[in-house]
Amino acid sequence: MSAVETTGLTKEYGDVAALDGLDLSIETGELYALLGPNGSGKTTTIEILTGQRRPTSGSAQVLGVDPVAEPVEVRRAIGILPEREDPPSFLTPREYLEFVSEMRDIGSVEERIERWANRLEFQGVLDTLSTDLSEGERQRVMLAQVFIHDPDLVFIDEPLVNLDPLMQAQVKTQLREYCEAGNTLFLSTHFMEVAEDLCTRVGILADGDLVAERDPRTADEDLLDTFATRVGETEAGEDPTAEVRAP
Amino acid sequence: MLTEEFRMHSHLFGPRRFAAFPFFIAAVVGAGVWLLSATDTSLELIVGGLFVLVLFAGFQVGTIGLVGRDAIQDVIGDMTLLVFSARTLPVSRRRLLFVFLFKDLLYYVALFLTPVVVGFLPVVVDGGFTLAEVGLLWVTVADTFALGIGTSLALAGVASRSTATAAGVIALLTAAVTLEPDLLLSLSPYALYADPGVETVLSGSVLTVGAVVVGPLLFEPPTRDRVQRVGDDRYRQFQRFGDALTARPLVEVTRSSGSVWKVVFSLGVLFGVTTLLLDRITAAMGIDPSAGIAFGTLLGLGTFTTYNWVTQNDSDREYLRYPERMRAVFAGKRRAFFLLALPTGLVYLALAGVLFPGLELLLGVVVFPLLAVYVFGLTAYMTGLSPNELLFNTPLFALYSLGLMLVAVPLLTAALAFDEWPVAAAGLSVALAVVGAAVGAVLARRTGPRWHDRLRAES
Repeated sequence: MSAVETTGLTKEYGDVAALDGLDLSIETGELYALLGPNGSGKTTTIEILTGQRRPTSGSAQVLGVDPVAEPVEVRRAIGILPEREDPPSFLTPREYLEFVSEMRDIGSVEERIERWANRLEFQGVLDTLSTDLSEGERQRVMLAQVFIHDPDLVFIDEPLVNLDPLMQAQVKTQLREYCEAGNTLFLSTHFMEVAEDLCTRVGILADGDLVAERDPRTADEDLLDTFATRVGETEAGEDPTAEVRAP
Repeated sequence: MLTEEFRMHSHLFGPRRFAAFPFFIAAVVGAGVWLLSATDTSLELIVGGLFVLVLFAGFQVGTIGLVGRDAIQDVIGDMTLLVFSARTLPVSRRRLLFVFLFKDLLYYVALFLTPVVVGFLPVVVDGGFTLAEVGLLWVTVADTFALGIGTSLALAGVASRSTATAAGVIALLTAAVTLEPDLLLSLSPYALYADPGVETVLSGSVLTVGAVVVGPLLFEPPTRDRVQRVGDDRYRQFQRFGDALTARPLVEVTRSSGSVWKVVFSLGVLFGVTTLLLDRITAAMGIDPSAGIAFGTLLGLGTFTTYNWVTQNDSDREYLRYPERMRAVFAGKRRAFFLLALPTGLVYLALAGVLFPGLELLLGVVVFPLLAVYVFGLTAYMTGLSPNELLFNTPLFALYSLGLMLVAVPLLTAALAFDEWPVAAAGLSVALAVVGAAVGAVLARRTGPRWHDRLRAES
């Protein structure tokens, strides 16, 4: 069963086409990464799939639900971590996670909060105002809010940003375990090694179009080479359709 | 910083809208002066009112020192400004903030006060003013604005050292305004305007020079130099007032710089304006307007600032990530808004009872909360979770001002007419406030779906 399915998804911001007929299919249990240069449409894709933004045309299904028509239902089933988002400055991590839990109608959250704080090692700052946390601590709190309600599918924009190497390794393990349990992960990242290390499939987005997909575990070509070739072709205006969408 | 300020506003609101703002101000003031003159309001009273309003606008601008960096960031959004570069430039934070406020002074004089004074030019054609008098008005109004900024800054400085001393200074100032208004006026820029001469150039500068010198000297920029552990149970306690969406803005208001005092101060500005205007109107026109309707109306309009505080830490897109309807988000804001604004406004109405007949203020007790319902509905509907967009977004500001005036003008007219037709004026004001509240309630109900759709369609 597809966890995410899009057909001909487009999004125009005035004269600029952020997405240009995106066709995407991600199976349940996949660890999928969307890779692309700045402005290639990664964030717009996530925002449409999570019901935060309406597409100009095209359709999408997330866990069998249309995020355009039923955004709240989609958000109920998924976890979202946008890029560069901090927990609210004047709440503590504990209060913020309680807040998120109430938004998601989860009762008795204390045990969940303790579990995630221990797992992501921020139990020592659970009662410190978020404005006083380090960047890394804030990112860990944001990661915890993604998983606190045990979602079947999560969307994460740059999961490892601001984390130290040990915590990066720990989060990678956590993400793998999450998918091994039958859940689906949709990542957006600039970091090639994150996509290569972690993902079962990588899609390369350039100018709002999916120009290549690869399984980094089996592909002959180096992912960086694919990226450079495909993005370069697209930016030079060449036709990137050959071999496109062939995982 | 001036370049930065100009680019920021033209970027945020579009160059045309931003450029239109001074013209809009001049047009509104011109129309206001003409309307007031047409209703036989003396020029002296109009100018007196202008000085009062400009002084309080200065207070408000100067309170940036009271509320600190989080409020600055709220006003300007997620941007990096020179004022925040004390860590990377060899310039002290105190100096950067001083320059920031000085820049604000220049900026407001150029884009706000100059158009205000230009609005008086038709009076020159009418023969009520000479060009020299308009020039004098411009200088003294700018001087008054600086007095307001300096006073706020000085108070913020005192408050950063001792809240009790700050409260004492405010009490002292209030007593001076009440007991010796003429002495204060003779030391203010208004003295120079009223009687231009060498003597008043000197005496009229006393307060401004004092505030502008003492303010920056006393001012200590609020800093967060320690990690703050929260031992209280405030978030859970506030949830008793509703839900998490109610508790969150309450926690954010009480824990951010200035705490709940910024709400008290903002409505206090309106309380001060009303007190002074009532005093001036009585002295100049010889009528006794309804203090209840006047306080109820102006405090009600002033609850706009409370809406600003309950949304100051919001990023509207954050709420699009939760499986919760925007209707619930605004319902939480509404509860927090009323929990903060209503008690504060009612305390000021009680305080007004010291200066004005208590029975008469009962009208204010009726008008104020109803108008607060209207203001909440209108503000939330028009601005969503970003009320600061009203600053310099000319069409939005014009529409919002029109929305407020639709209710405020007839209510204030009723306040003036109360002396002659008390029953009719009271009945009309209550009826208007009820209609306003009904409209506000409808707008509030439509706010959630409207902003959910708008944010999702945003390009």
